[in-house]
Amino acid sequence: MSRRPLKYRSDTSSEGAPVREASAIRGPNSALTEFLRQQGISAEDIRRRHLERINGEEQGGEGEEDGGEGGGEDGEALLEAVEEGDTVRNAADEQMAQEELEIRIASRRKRRAAAGKDDEDEYTDSETEDGIDNDGDRVTHTRRKIVGESEKCAHCFNDFVVNVYSKISESGGYLCPDCTKRQLDKERAIKKNQLISRKKRQRLAVALLDRQDVKFPSLLDLAIKKVTERIYDVEDLGDIGDVNMKKIAKILCRNRSLDDNTVKLFLNTHLSKLEFWDCSGLTSKSYNQIAAYCPNLQELTLLMCGRLHNDNLNYFSTNLSKLTKLDLDGPFLINDATWKNFFNTVGDRLTSFKIGNTHRFSDDSFLTLMDKCGANLKSLKLSRLDGIKKKESYDVMPAYLTKLQELEISYPQHEDLVDDTLLINLMSINGESLSTLILDGCSGLTDDFLINGIRPFGGSLRHISLQLLDQITSEGFVGLFHGWSDNYGLNEVYLRKCFSLGDEGIVEMLLHSGSSLVELSINSIKDLTALTFQIMKCANLTYLDAGFVRCIDDEVLELIGKNCPQLRVMDCYGNNRCTSNAVIREGLKVIGRQSDTV
Amino acid sequence: MTQAMYITLVSSDNFEFIITSEAANVSGTLRSMLQSTFKETSERRIRLHEFDGRVLGKVVEYLYYNLKYKDSVDVPEFDIPEEMALELLDASDFLDV
Repeated sequence: MSRRPLKYRSDTSSEGAPVREASAIRGPNSALTEFLRQQGISAEDIRRRHLERINGEEQGGEGEEDGGEGGGEDGEALLEAVEEGDTVRNAADEQMAQEELEIRIASRRKRRAAAGKDDEDEYTDSETEDGIDNDGDRVTHTRRKIVGESEKCAHCFNDFVVNVYSKISESGGYLCPDCTKRQLDKERAIKKNQLISRKKRQRLAVALLDRQDVKFPSLLDLAIKKVTERIYDVEDLGDIGDVNMKKIAKILCRNRSLDDNTVKLFLNTHLSKLEFWDCSGLTSKSYNQIAAYCPNLQELTLLMCGRLHNDNLNYFSTNLSKLTKLDLDGPFLINDATWKNFFNTVGDRLTSFKIGNTHRFSDDSFLTLMDKCGANLKSLKLSRLDGIKKKESYDVMPAYLTKLQELEISYPQHEDLVDDTLLINLMSINGESLSTLILDGCSGLTDDFLINGIRPFGGSLRHISLQLLDQITSEGFVGLFHGWSDNYGLNEVYLRKCFSLGDEGIVEMLLHSGSSLVELSINSIKDLTALTFQIMKCANLTYLDAGFVRCIDDEVLELIGKNCPQLRVMDCYGNNRCTSNAVIREGLKVIGRQSDTV
Repeated sequence: MTQAMYITLVSSDNFEFIITSEAANVSGTLRSMLQSTFKETSERRIRLHEFDGRVLGKVVEYLYYNLKYKDSVDVPEFDIPEEMALELLDASDFLDV
């Protein structure tokens, strides 16, 4: 029953009220009563309206009855109940209305009893329902005590004097100062606990995003932190151990604090291997120092080496006479002539050459590399080299490369540069030794290369990455993996954004390599269904990226955890059906659920 | 309190640190020493010639720091004096803490 807005009778308030006020003799009244009287609101009115409404409903919602229905003889009996008498109806109607009212009251009482409220006041009419307390004489449940009054404590029943700090207990009633203090302490403790647990949850969420456990820092961590903080003051790290040296170097790179000063700490004449992941702080001078202080270097890795200058590479080629492996990322200052000079000097000593992110490495440089070093290269990485623009450049690769173990050709300038024929040729020559094949972003490749390149020649392959190859399909995968007995199983497979793959292809791959897989990415293969995950039983799988595979929900998540006992990290970004309700096995970290917010 | 609950660590300059076995168990090296059939297991006394009293004192401080704050959220920072950082690095590597 909806409550009707109160109507104020303004006519009586303006004229009638002063008259009444003058004539009536009343006892003391509350301000509310006075106000209601002035506005002409009386309990009688409200009751009348309520009765009207009930009547109206009973008569099939005809709306409010107006007084024009004719004043019958039975009117007098009703007039008692409806004071003003502007609604008059026959007795039968009224009878029914009364009955209904009683039924309503009874049911209401029952409901109240069921709800456990004690219904002390006799419920006779609709007064309370309309919420107006006419007389103001109903006692509120907890009467507000005035400061200074004495009161019994609701808790310990001792007498005390109420002051402004007295608290009201949960059961109602005031608390004495001691109990108030106790209560406050309790509330504070609750608040503190909530704060701590919130902080803990936050820390967990942050650590999860970093793929780490929340763990207490070991003394070793603390010491390394201290050393790196004060590295400028420590001139000689002395006997610190190669392992720790590497650890410090990594920490420095991660914090982007490797620069001309700090680099000196790692340069050592007996060093044969040097790895800097972030060289953006190093200047030309430091690169020369690397070659000057470490003449015995065999393996050199410089990532983000944007400031590596022509002179530096020339100096490397003359001074680093034992260098066999070079990995450079972003050496865009090096020009053609310098590359040529470098390859001419190093020649077939070079067994591993990895380069990425430079547009200056041109067709000519590439041809020199093939010509001078190709015969001995075991490892080659060509990533994001926009300078190689001719298809012929790539096509000469099979003529030179014969001993490859690792090959990466990723994100070529144009997808037509790397095609099926080239890969099939390369595979046929290097297939026996090739264990790692990375072809991310070579979107010109099709099923043909899977079936005629990898299947017949890829028996030694262990690691394969085909991200963003949108032309390979389930048929190609079935053709490759179905009964592929040459290969004993792949260890790492990355298929991110191979949009055309579906259940069939992935299932076939899992049937072939399921037991040997250690890492797998099926990110964004959107057509997969739960079927694939029912078949997926990978005993050795430790990492799974299943982001944006929408069929994964809490149940599938649980299933994966059960079927892959070694699985430690699983990415599931974008799978909005994975919730915090999923049952996740101990030791498995699931990253990227929406519920894991910081 | 039985004697078995305590371990004595002796530094190269003969400082002795008597710590509870609970604290000693924080260190992987000490833990495995005490669970083995080494002489140290029965003697409850471990000589650490590699470190002087100053470093060992700091290590012991960390053992108790770890014990106390392992499960709490607001952890005060563990202070490492700069001049000791390298020695502590070595010590922590050795003791696996």
